[in-house]
Formats: sequence, structure tokens, C-alpha cells
Amino acid sequence: MAVDNEPRETFEDVDWDDIDETTRAFSRKTIVTIGAYMLFAVGLLYDYVLKPPRADTIEPLGISLQALDWLYILTLLTILVGVVVPLYENGRMTRYYWQQFRKNRAAVASLIYLGVIFLIGSIGPRFLEQPTVDPSNAYQPPVFTSAPNWLPVECAGEVAGGSCHGTWAHPFGTTHEGKDILVSVIYGMEVSMQVGLIAALITITIAAIVGVSAAYFGGWIDAALMRYVDIQITFPTFFLYLMIVYLYGGSLFSMIVIFGLLGWGGIARIVRSEALQRREEEYVLAAKNAGASGYWTMRRHLLPNVSNSVITAVTLLIPSLILFEASLAFLGLGDPTVPSWGEVIASGRSDLPNAWWVSTIPGIFLFFTILAFNFVGDALRDALDPRADGGDK
Amino acid sequence: MGMEMEMEMGIGVSPVSDQPAAARTEAPLLSVRNLTKHYPITTGLRSKEVGRVRAVDGIDFDVYPGETVGIVGESGCGKSTAASSLIRLEEPTEGTVRFDGEDITQYDQAELKAFRRRVQMIFQDPESSFDPRMSIGEAIAEPLAVQGLSDASRRREIVADLLERVGLAAGDADRYPHELSGGQKQRVGLARALSMNPDMIIADEPVSALDVSIQSEILALMTDLQETFGLSILLISHNLAVIRQICDRVAVMYLGEIVELGTASEVFTNPQHPYTRALLASIPTADPTDRGMGIELTGDVPSPSNPPTGCRFHTRCPELIQPENYEFEQSTWRRVMDLRQKLDQGTVDVDAIREGVVTERESDETPDDVSATETKARLRDEFAIPQSLDDSRAESVLDAALDELVSGNPAAARERLATEFATPCESQSPTLEDTTAGQTASCLRLENELPPTELEQTVRSD
Repeated sequence: MAVDNEPRETFEDVDWDDIDETTRAFSRKTIVTIGAYMLFAVGLLYDYVLKPPRADTIEPLGISLQALDWLYILTLLTILVGVVVPLYENGRMTRYYWQQFRKNRAAVASLIYLGVIFLIGSIGPRFLEQPTVDPSNAYQPPVFTSAPNWLPVECAGEVAGGSCHGTWAHPFGTTHEGKDILVSVIYGMEVSMQVGLIAALITITIAAIVGVSAAYFGGWIDAALMRYVDIQITFPTFFLYLMIVYLYGGSLFSMIVIFGLLGWGGIARIVRSEALQRREEEYVLAAKNAGASGYWTMRRHLLPNVSNSVITAVTLLIPSLILFEASLAFLGLGDPTVPSWGEVIASGRSDLPNAWWVSTIPGIFLFFTILAFNFVGDALRDALDPRADGGDK
Repeated sequence: MGMEMEMEMGIGVSPVSDQPAAARTEAPLLSVRNLTKHYPITTGLRSKEVGRVRAVDGIDFDVYPGETVGIVGESGCGKSTAASSLIRLEEPTEGTVRFDGEDITQYDQAELKAFRRRVQMIFQDPESSFDPRMSIGEAIAEPLAVQGLSDASRRREIVADLLERVGLAAGDADRYPHELSGGQKQRVGLARALSMNPDMIIADEPVSALDVSIQSEILALMTDLQETFGLSILLISHNLAVIRQICDRVAVMYLGEIVELGTASEVFTNPQHPYTRALLASIPTADPTDRGMGIELTGDVPSPSNPPTGCRFHTRCPELIQPENYEFEQSTWRRVMDLRQKLDQGTVDVDAIREGVVTERESDETPDDVSATETKARLRDEFAIPQSLDDSRAESVLDAALDELVSGNPAAARERLATEFATPCESQSPTLEDTTAGQTASCLRLENELPPTELEQTVRSD
């Protein structure tokens, strides 16, 4: 700390009347945040109300945004505002957390893997055409491997010794329909990230708000919210989704929204029980003694202190959502318009004896993605708890 | 059945400050009148009220600028509730609290928020009074941020200054609560309270969670800060030594009421209320030959949901007023009243007494074989009542009552004792009145100008 020549400000110097009179201006950050959400709202309004129906959202570029895309944009915006910006602002804290986090090598590798999946999944589908059915191109083996020559209709690579060798034209090979598996896997990355992130964000937002409010306000608010949770938990979400599939056909959007809006009950209960304990702590009373509002107490004290349970729950939630989407797609209940990992796995299940790569390659991606989320969650939980290992100062 | 309070002597106890009891000319900073906090006991869906816990039941006191007032009492007597409800951390049920002339119980939210700057609180448990996810600096700056000082760099400067004033380093701002010791955290607690530049600090058991060696450091820091900033302090403690060390005036609380209020020197050297005397007698002394003054409080602390009638202390008071027509030794009278109270509660089990007699005899007799005389003798032993009272008329009443009790008619025994051995303490409520010693106390003995008991004499000669 530099030596101050100026005497520094002390608590006695604060002129509270002066502070009371200054109308509290919104900070630049607040303005930017509100601006970003306003921009989003305007875009949504334009897409659904103002522009001619059936036209592309951004005509000159030929970009057409669907409901799911808007939801994904909102999710990414919220992650940016709620996670990335605070991490950047509190650099010291972030570095401390990072120090803790990187102790777990597997988690660092997992984070890099997830980052790559996210990037490729976000960028790839913008430039790649959806894989198309091309029977003449069926059963091409992945590069560096080979398949019996009779399997592919027309081997794209070298034929040597009765075997068809894979080529770089189809690095992961093709399915029985001749769809390129690499392209399908890249599309599947986006689907998995969308399912995991959007549904998880909807879930934890509602769960955190409901759980913390129930615990903080208590009384009839608590009773009403928790009884509603009881009812919601008994509600058969899976059958609701099945019904929607039969009525309107499978869609990723409805799957995400249904699981996001109806799956938060359990986490809300965890949050509530945790927040109930925290509410009795003296620091909550100390905040009240400082004149803090209920919102302040919930936002600054209760939420951060239940974040452990929330992060634990989310790290279990995201992979289970991704797995759930894959299972539904495997059963043919998914969105037929988007290629997802589960769908590709399903399409190759009868070909396993001959064309092992069709199911195996997306399966490996699914497996590692779920594993990576679990590793990251584990390390995050350890890193975010200041009591875990902080005595190294 | 003894006292539930720990009355430790802190080290380095300074002599009681001799604040003159002269009439004050200035107005009190804080003036509490009839402060009441009842917690309703509710049942069922409609939250029907079935009773109330009278945690604080009408207390009055003043705190003058720059003064330290102590509230002392056993655990559960309502002293902490009094503190939190007088600054509306909990809404008081009744009463007025004037701070600097304004009734804060009438404040709306905005006024209350502004008022928070003027009175700050220090909490008992240094472990729980800091958010584990906030650094020390953020915790100290929290009141500043809440009250609208939105400039983070100004907050950091103020925090650095505050940390140094309470004996920590400015660099400690980045540390987390779990990295500090209990004493350091209590210093941080003081810094957090000071950040608002308050006129008054309420310290709820500020040192009771700390090592004895740290206690006096924190108390010394509090007095230092008090002198520097002209703070008023309301100190709440069960520890008489702490109160004695720093308080100018003391209020003694029992079951939600103040029973004695005066300057520390008056209360500690010449206690007027039997409860205060019992508290003082329980302080251990460093003299090994001193076996204490023999004042022991019998009975449990009554529940505040169902406080005793009359004087609330009468169920445990060693100086209970005797009935007019009888002459007891004071300690015997207390024992007889203990028996009476147990009878009223229906907790005297004559069969168990008989069984006790049989067990000790090691013979084949059944409890039914135990004679009435033996049972009565045993009952007297249980309550430490002599086998024969000095006053023959009292003896005959007690004997008749025991006969009725042993013969299986406790209602008659209860009735007999209630009419014969009635004390004004169970029917009349004393009020806080000025005493000849200078302080105020609420005791019927003082109101009726009864002569002091032997017990009182013992404490006074101390």
C-alpha cells in the first residue's frame, strides 16, 4: 500500500446528509446491464410482433432466430451478467477461487474440454450445413480405421486388401443414412449445451428465488410456496412431455421449458432449508442493524451462503438434463429437426456389430461431457467454500 | 438447583467508577418507558394465540450521553430481547423508546433506516456475526454501503482507518472471518459498529464468547473508543465482573423486569434487592477461606410464559416476607415455601418418598408398610425442613398439612398452607421505587419498610 500524503477519509468525515441528498445515480454497470436486456427485449419484440411473419429475423444475413435461440441468447446474457462480469470485477476473489480450483487437475482439464465443446457447439452450426441423407455415402468408416469393403455402398477412401479405409472427408465416418457423424456431433454439442445451460438456469433461478424467499419471509409465504413445491414434485413431468410430443411433436424448446419450469422443486427445498439456517445467523441481524432491506439481506447474505448447495445441485442437474435429453432422443421422442447425440446413438444401435463408430463416437462425447461437468462441479464446490482451505495467507 | 449464571471475575477488574449520583441536567440520549416484548404462542392453522412468552415486561431506563449502562441478569431473563426490541431489530409489543427526544417506535421505514446510523450493535457470537463469504473489509463497509455510500474507494479508505483504530492492520481488510481469532473478530465488530459514527453502541454480551485474557482487552478498547468518540454504551451481560469493570450505571433484570437500577457503586456496594444480593454473593472471591455468604437461590427460573404472580422473584427469593402470625428462621421459611410451591405444581410424589424409605432399609417391606411418621420425616428431609419448627403454631400447621399430604389429600394440604402461610410477595407486585441507598429497587420489603434480614446484613458487611 502506498504511503498517503493526504490524510485519508475516516468514518467521521462522512457527511450523511450530503449522501442522503445526492439522488442515487445508477452506476454505469447497471445502465449497461439494463441496456443489454432492453436490447434483447427489443429484438424479441421485433422478431415476434413487428417483422412480417415467416421472414428471416435478419433478412440480409439470412439469419432466422427461433424461440429456442432467443432463450439461449437470454441464458448466455444472464450468465455473462451474473457470472462472468462479477468474476471480472472482483479480480482478487476470482484469482483466489482460481488458485483453489486449479488444485484439481481433472477439473481444469474438464473445464477446458467443456470450453472447447461450448465454442465448437456455438460456432460450428453457424457455418456447417445440417447433415443430409445421402445413401450412396453410407457407412464410411472414420479416418485411420477401416471397415470391410462390402459395408459402404461406395467407399470414399482407399480400398486395400478388401477393406475400406476412412478419409478426412468424413473424419468420424458416416451413418447408415450417409450423414456425416462429425457434423452431427457438432450439432449435438449445441443441443447439449442448450439443454444443460437453459434448463439449469431456469431451474436454479426459480429454485433460488423461491427457496430464499420462503426461508426469509416465513409465515404464509413459506407455507404457500412449499405446499406448491409438494404438489409440483408429485407432478409427472415426463408424461406431460410425452403428451406434448404426441399432440405437437417433439421439440427441444418444449422439452427445455417443461423441465426447466417443473423441475426446480427439489432444489428449492434444499435452498430453503439451507437459507433457514443462515437466516438465524447474527450477520443477518447485523445487516438489519445497518438498515439493510430484505432484498439486500437475501441478495448479499442468504444467496451467497446457499450457493454451495446450489452449485452442488446444478452440477448434478446439468449432466442429468443432458443425459435425459439424450435418452429421450434415443427413444425417438426428441426434436426430429435437430441432430442430437442421443439420436445419432440410436441410429447406430442396430449397426454395432459392423459399424461400431456410429453409436460409439457420440457416446464418447456424451460420456466425457457428463464426466467433465461432474469434475468441474466438484472442484467448484471446494473452491467456493472459504472455510475449505483458506489458511494459506 | 443453584444459580445458573456463571459469575466469573475477569482479570484486571478496575474498581467501580465513582460516578457521582448527582442529578443530571442534560437530557437523556435514550429513554425507554414501559418497553414490552411478548412472543405469542400460537397453535393450529389459524394461529390462535394460546399464551405469551413475556420476554420483556415493561422496563424503564435512561442512558445519558457518554454514559455506560449495564443490564445484568441470568440467561433467559430478557436482557438480549430488551436490547434488540429497543432498537426495533424486533418490533416491541408496547412502550416508547425516545432517542434524542424522538419516539423511534413511531418511525417509518425511511426514518428507521436513518436512525440506524445513530445506534449500532455489537453481537455476542463473533463466529456467527460475520458472513463467511464476505471479507472483513466488506463486512465493515456493509453499513456504509447500505446507507448509501456508493463510492467503493471511499469505503476502502474508511475501512482501512477503522481497522487501525481497533488495533488491526489496514491490510486485514482482505482477510475472511475464519482467518481471524475470536478477539480479532470482536474488534472487527467494533469497527463495523463505529463505521456509522454512532452516538450509541449496544453491546450484547460482547465478551462472553472470548477467553478471559482477551475479555479485558476488548473492554479496554471499548472504553477507549467511548472516550475518543463520546459514545454512550448499553452493555448487556450476565457477567457481573464485566459490568463492574466498565459500567457507570447498572440495571438488574429478572424475568423480563428491572428489579434494581442505580449507579454501579451503589448497586455493587449496597445492593437493595434480594436478587441483586444473591447475584453478588455468587461471585467467587480469590480468598480461599471465604466460603461464600451462603446465599443460594433455590428452585428453577420460572418460565416467562407463565411468570409467578405478585413479585416475580418470590418463588426463589431467600428474603421472602414471612406471614404475620408466625415466626420462622428465614432459611426455614424459604424451605417451607419451596415445599408449598412444589405442592402447587403437583410435583410432590409421596409414593416415591415411601419407596425411597424402603430402598434404604433393605428389608422386605413394601412401600405401603411405611408409616405416616416416617414418610413425613422423610418429606421434611427432602426439603431440608427441620423435624420441628421453632414456632409451635407454625409447626402444628405444617404437621397438619403433611398429615393431609401423606394421607393422600394433597388438595387439603395445599389449601391449608396457602391460607396459613401466605406472603404478601405472592399477591402484591412491587414497583421500582427510590431507596434510601440512592438507587431504585422493586421489593415489597423496601416498600413496607421491613427490617433487613440476616442475609441482607451479611452482604452489607462485605
